[in-house]
Amino acid sequence: MKKCLLCGQDFIPATSFLRIFSFKKFHEQCLCQHCLAKFAPISREHCEICYGKAAANERCLDCLEWQKIYGHNLLRNHAIYRYNDAFHEIMVNYKRYGDYVLREVLQELCFEQLKKIKVDFYVPIPTSLEHIAKRQFDTVAAIYSQLVPLSFFLAKKEGQGAQGERTRSERLESKQSFLVKEGIKADVNKHSVLLLDDIYTTGRTLYYARDALQTAFPQAKISSFTICR
Amino acid sequence: MENSSCLAGRQWISSQEDFSTNEVLTKISAIQQSHCMRCGARVYAKLPNGKFYCRDCIELGRIVEGDLLVRNLELAEFSRMKNGGLTWHGSLTKRQSAVSCELVKNFNQRADTLVHAVTGAGKTEMLFAAIAECIAQGKRSCIATPRIDVVNELYPRFKAAFNTIKIGKYHGKEHHEPRLDQLTICTTHQLMKFYHAFDLLVIDEVDSFPYVENTQLHFAAKNAVKEDGVRIYLTATPTNDLLEKVKEKQLKILRLNRRFHGGLLPVPRALFFYRPFLLKQKINPRLLKEINAVIKSGHQLLLFVPRIEQIPIYVSALKNDAQFSSVIVEGVHAMDKNRLAKVENFRQGKSQLLVTTTILERGVTFKHVWVIVVQADDEIYTSASLVQIAGRVGRAKDDPDGLVLFCYRKYTQNIRNALKQIREMNK
Ligand SMILES: [Zn+2]
Ligand SMILES: [Zn+2]
Ligand SMILES: [Zn+2]
Repeated sequence: MKKCLLCGQDFIPATSFLRIFSFKKFHEQCLCQHCLAKFAPISREHCEICYGKAAANERCLDCLEWQKIYGHNLLRNHAIYRYNDAFHEIMVNYKRYGDYVLREVLQELCFEQLKKIKVDFYVPIPTSLEHIAKRQFDTVAAIYSQLVPLSFFLAKKEGQGAQGERTRSERLESKQSFLVKEGIKADVNKHSVLLLDDIYTTGRTLYYARDALQTAFPQAKISSFTICR
Repeated sequence: MENSSCLAGRQWISSQEDFSTNEVLTKISAIQQSHCMRCGARVYAKLPNGKFYCRDCIELGRIVEGDLLVRNLELAEFSRMKNGGLTWHGSLTKRQSAVSCELVKNFNQRADTLVHAVTGAGKTEMLFAAIAECIAQGKRSCIATPRIDVVNELYPRFKAAFNTIKIGKYHGKEHHEPRLDQLTICTTHQLMKFYHAFDLLVIDEVDSFPYVENTQLHFAAKNAVKEDGVRIYLTATPTNDLLEKVKEKQLKILRLNRRFHGGLLPVPRALFFYRPFLLKQKINPRLLKEINAVIKSGHQLLLFVPRIEQIPIYVSALKNDAQFSSVIVEGVHAMDKNRLAKVENFRQGKSQLLVTTTILERGVTFKHVWVIVVQADDEIYTSASLVQIAGRVGRAKDDPDGLVLFCYRKYTQNIRNALKQIREMNK
């Protein structure tokens, strides 16, 4: 018996060989099947670029907008779940209230898919130091650091609010807020990089992160991964 | 503190050690012996820095080991008021007024009371006298309930009944600065913001989700009232922990087993099913027969299913069934965007059959409705929720009886207890 981290009810965690061998840190599930069923996996029909809402082999409205700016140089994003009430609630608890243990639920939602993506560098989207100080943890790195080796290439310019507190148009109008750290020794050029974030909302954050990295490493092959789209 | 009287009887967290305290402003460590001093829960979750934090009351602001809980012990003073500000002129039935008088007596004798009243007994009106007595003495009272929608429903009723009294309304979906109110209506969650504040605390629907046998509620209820304060618990289905207190004579019990129209609760019929209720998207023919019988009798039917994802399956199976071709079937659940419209359609008789999950079990009243609970043996139904569901039926004065059918494949303890409670209430 284990207590579900979302609803607090006791449940019998399922253990499968796949789970045990693919990710040794996960011995047991941490959310019950009823809570798991509240999350909506993205169906096969999705935007071919970013997993947004679109018919199969077509592009979503966001990507059509990005196309006007970037032409063919769009950022390919892999996502697993659609944004719904359940996802909204977990993000409020995790990010706004600072319920750190919920990273385990988020890990459980994504680790099987993330493991299938093999790249040379996994780069988390950084959180501002001010927010880290307030919550006592970095929301993105806390999810992924136990799943894949992270390369902290990006830093956040200080004095800019979080995207989560902005409206859609405010997000799109925000300015470049990332810098590439100095003194990176790794040979990033010609290698593959996967940017990691929790949610892809408009793509604004991830495109800025990609732009910053691409400028520093023009030949790096950059894509992104988010749990939710 | 600026204007500290607004914060009289309240508690809040502070991370500052150098907080100056005085006679009315005290501070304690927010986490003591692995327990949260605001909600009483055991703390088990840790931050990366190794400090424990409380998950159970995190929406009120995260409490981390080392934080302080500041308590304002100032006594709020209100002027005494003749009649206790009661402007309600309705009348109570004999039974209701007996309960109402007992509550006033118990308040004056500083005795806690459990009011066990069936759904539809008119609980709110029975409270007016005790609240008025409290206000008349210049004292402070609070009505707390686990659900936000019940807070929203009670507030206008009390505002109408006490139209000169300042009533505070607090719940997690509405944010405003704390005020000093003589009567507070809030969610039980908000009680955790109070410390020794109230002379009278009423907890309505004490059994309802998500607080069944929850130590957090009792902890908050204990902290929020003054040391000589009085509690009233209202429920249609008393939980074991409260009945235990009645046995130990810590709690007086008042029973009101007749509904306002004097009718009894319909005793549910339990029906055993050998085969699954749903097989390959088809509804069990025996269940279909029962559904058809209700429709033929001219009653509307609430069909309860345990899971949201089953709703569309039942709805489409019913719609595709020729015998229901003239029946308007709808499905609704808690997160349904059209929930209010669908419920209103059903209330107005525009649809005859509503497939739903437990969410409609409380606070929603329909007339002339019969109920079938599919999979009444599912773990999602507690005996309390089954009793509540049965309470949906027979609420109209001219049609006080009706059908409640519990369909099961395994006769559970919860079904047994629900039937037992209803029979006892009808004695
Ligand atoms: Zn759960
Ligand atoms: Zn797209
Ligand atoms: Zn707590």
